Amino acid sequence: VASWLLRRVAQAAFTFVVALVLLFFLMRLAPGDPLWRLQEGAEIGPAERRLLEERYGLNQPLLSQFGAFASGVARGDLGTSIAYGLPVTGLIASRVPATLLLGGAVLLLNFTLGLWLGVRQAVRRGGVEDRALTVLSLACYATPSFWLGLMLAWLFAIEWRLLPSGGMADPLLHPDAGMLATLRDLAAHLVLPAATLSAVTIAATMRHQRSAMLEVLRLPYILTARAKGLADGTVTRRHAWRNALFPVITIFGLWLPVLVTGSVFVEAVFAWPGLGSLAAAAASGRDYPLLMGTSVLTAGLVVASSLLTDLAYALLDPRVRDA
Amino acid sequence: VTRWTRRNLLAAVLAALPSASAAALQRDGPASIVIVTGQEAPMPIPTLMEGSHSNLANFEIADHLFLRLAGLGPSLTTSGDAGFIPQLARSWTRRDSLTLAFELDPRARWHDGVPVTSRDVLFSFSRARDPAIAPKAATQLRYVAGVEAEGDHRVVVRFSRRYAEQLYDATYHAPPLPAHLLADVPPDQLARSTYVSRPVGSGPYRWVRSVPGQFIELAANEQFFLGRPTIRRVVVRVAKDADARLNLVLSGDADAMDNIPPPAANIQRVSARQDLRIIPVPSATVGYLLYNHRDPRDLTRPHPILGDRQVRRALTLALDRRLMVQAVLGRYGEVPFGPVSPLLWIRHGAPEPLGQDQAAARELLSSRGWVDRDGDGVRERAGRPLALRISLPNTSAVRQQLALLVQQQFRAVGVGLELVRLEGPVWMERRSGGDFDIDFSTAVQEPSPSVLLQSWSCNGSTNVAKYCDPVVDSLLERALLARTDARGAWHQVLRRIEEDAPATFLYAPIYVFAVNRRFDNVAIRPESSWSSLWRWSVRSAPRVGTAGY
Repeated sequence: VASWLLRRVAQAAFTFVVALVLLFFLMRLAPGDPLWRLQEGAEIGPAERRLLEERYGLNQPLLSQFGAFASGVARGDLGTSIAYGLPVTGLIASRVPATLLLGGAVLLLNFTLGLWLGVRQAVRRGGVEDRALTVLSLACYATPSFWLGLMLAWLFAIEWRLLPSGGMADPLLHPDAGMLATLRDLAAHLVLPAATLSAVTIAATMRHQRSAMLEVLRLPYILTARAKGLADGTVTRRHAWRNALFPVITIFGLWLPVLVTGSVFVEAVFAWPGLGSLAAAAASGRDYPLLMGTSVLTAGLVVASSLLTDLAYALLDPRVRDA
Repeated sequence: VTRWTRRNLLAAVLAALPSASAAALQRDGPASIVIVTGQEAPMPIPTLMEGSHSNLANFEIADHLFLRLAGLGPSLTTSGDAGFIPQLARSWTRRDSLTLAFELDPRARWHDGVPVTSRDVLFSFSRARDPAIAPKAATQLRYVAGVEAEGDHRVVVRFSRRYAEQLYDATYHAPPLPAHLLADVPPDQLARSTYVSRPVGSGPYRWVRSVPGQFIELAANEQFFLGRPTIRRVVVRVAKDADARLNLVLSGDADAMDNIPPPAANIQRVSARQDLRIIPVPSATVGYLLYNHRDPRDLTRPHPILGDRQVRRALTLALDRRLMVQAVLGRYGEVPFGPVSPLLWIRHGAPEPLGQDQAAARELLSSRGWVDRDGDGVRERAGRPLALRISLPNTSAVRQQLALLVQQQFRAVGVGLELVRLEGPVWMERRSGGDFDIDFSTAVQEPSPSVLLQSWSCNGSTNVAKYCDPVVDSLLERALLARTDARGAWHQVLRRIEEDAPATFLYAPIYVFAVNRRFDNVAIRPESSWSSLWRWSVRSAPRVGTAGY
């Protein structure tokens, strides 16, 4: 087991390094002026441009730039953002809490409500509830998240004024308002972005869970369990569901990095200060240091979630480990 | 029991959200304002707002925190000494054509209570004139020969040449910084000092806190020597997406926004609200079709089509600019005369821009040998079609709409136009490298018309189209020096540029701000939107927001 684990970790580390090297060079090969964002207000002349290129190392040969980036990563220094003029690590760190909160809430909803609804659909296969949930989840899945977000904001924030239309906190909430008030405020701000993102992602979890459950429910050991006189609920929970979890673990592994950096539209519509919008702005503005900083995080998450998925498989199914 | 528990849990969660109105009661009362804007302001410190920190948001926050020696008056005239109003300097006198003396207001204090003195002014000039710290400001202050203190409250600024904007340069580019807090900080460490994260200024508002990616909070400076601000608390909230900004204002989560985004229906949505008012504000932006004077395939050669002045004039005459601006911007745009945004004082009294005259355009093109011989609708000369490419960024909806109209109207006079929509960085790369026939440019201008030198003089630092007319250069020089009838001198520059048609100056937008009606005495300044906020007053009507959550 230890050698399998070591081999798998080494593979993950190698994949991470290859991904970073590829990302670095592919990004630099793409056309575009990395100082573009600085010229949205007023153009910069050649002298100022030279100074800025020198400051951000853009005048160095590509290999030197890569060397500086790699040694920076090793030291935990991802450089300075061109657009913000601030250290990349600090910028990313300031956005991580918002991202984790939104991503975590969505994952929680997906893998509680989504799994529960998927199981219910499988158990009530072909019934009215199954058909209604199928139609509803597919409709949500097909809805563009930015449109759904705008509609929810219009309805709940502008028309009914029940929830805030954007941001992560009410800036006018008094600093001495107390923890309960602060938490309520945070929860109120979280509702609409989390609901929007969940609505468009939960369908996948439901569908995968439903089909996995249906497959398991057909297996002979389920028939045996029923023949033994076990209650339907016990058969579903204790015997069927555990074996129907494998495809969902894969989905979980895929969702993890996407939810951290992939909620660009929802973050934009709700002015949610997360990493997704930061990464998108870095990409569209060719802010190389920030772009590489968010890429390091994304690549790390992809590799780590893939590793975690494998580990979870191995933990749940000894056959995988042995193979 | 399980089902009962689940139901009660759900009911409790649902009840918890409305009951958070208790939290709403703990919000500040009506004497606060939330402004929503599209950019963060990580470095609102004078002399450091260059390069990565040159965004508008930094300048607008800095204008709450820091005063200048003198501010621009309502006419925004930067030429001469008459159009300025006292700020940190209560008066100024001209000793001769090269020397200005400022009397500092003895009531002026930094937010920590320390008096503002001539030492602060000298310190700030020394930092702003250091090219290693502020290369742009150092260039703008290149004619400042020296700054001296005469006691604690008098500063004398000497210039190396006579010109009309001495007072503007002395006051606008180097707002005083507190020497007692910064003199010991090495110049190259200034941007990383603790002062940057908690700036101390001299303006009507003082720094409270910044939550990165979310908002900056300022509080009224109780000791402000020009008058205590009525609005006690200012929150500048960040929402990069235009729809999110609009939603924050419409939902009552923000009181004001700085530019209602297109389409025009958004302005109508705001107008329809009884609690909001719209305020048109002249913008600092001018949009134009920039004609490349060099062949993009070989920059050493003149452009084979656009190198001809008559062709450029014909292109301008082909366009009905008023109709186009009306179609895209409605009432909130105008056609400029020359490269002049609505912010610049020299636009007043300028001649009317040329109207559309397609017959004259056709005649001009024919006279230069461009004739449609094969009947395909595009003129040719010596086998070369009169076909051009226009580069524009795909992020600008206004420019994309206008470009389609330009294409249509060029076609009517036999000019083919291909629209090349590019990602912002790619567009800028091509523009900077001169790789375009026509570039759909915009310029965001400072209040001084001297900015025209950068793009329209032969050696202009941002003259990417390589336009060069020695007559324009000499007229620009004359206008910069003119101490009498400066406006007339600048109009001569504009007339010459219009005649030469290095570009077709297409639109100058009027920005539309939204402000809650709770506020009275509302004035928004074109050069710094919220800088007069401290003079606004607040009605007693309560803040209406999403108080239910």
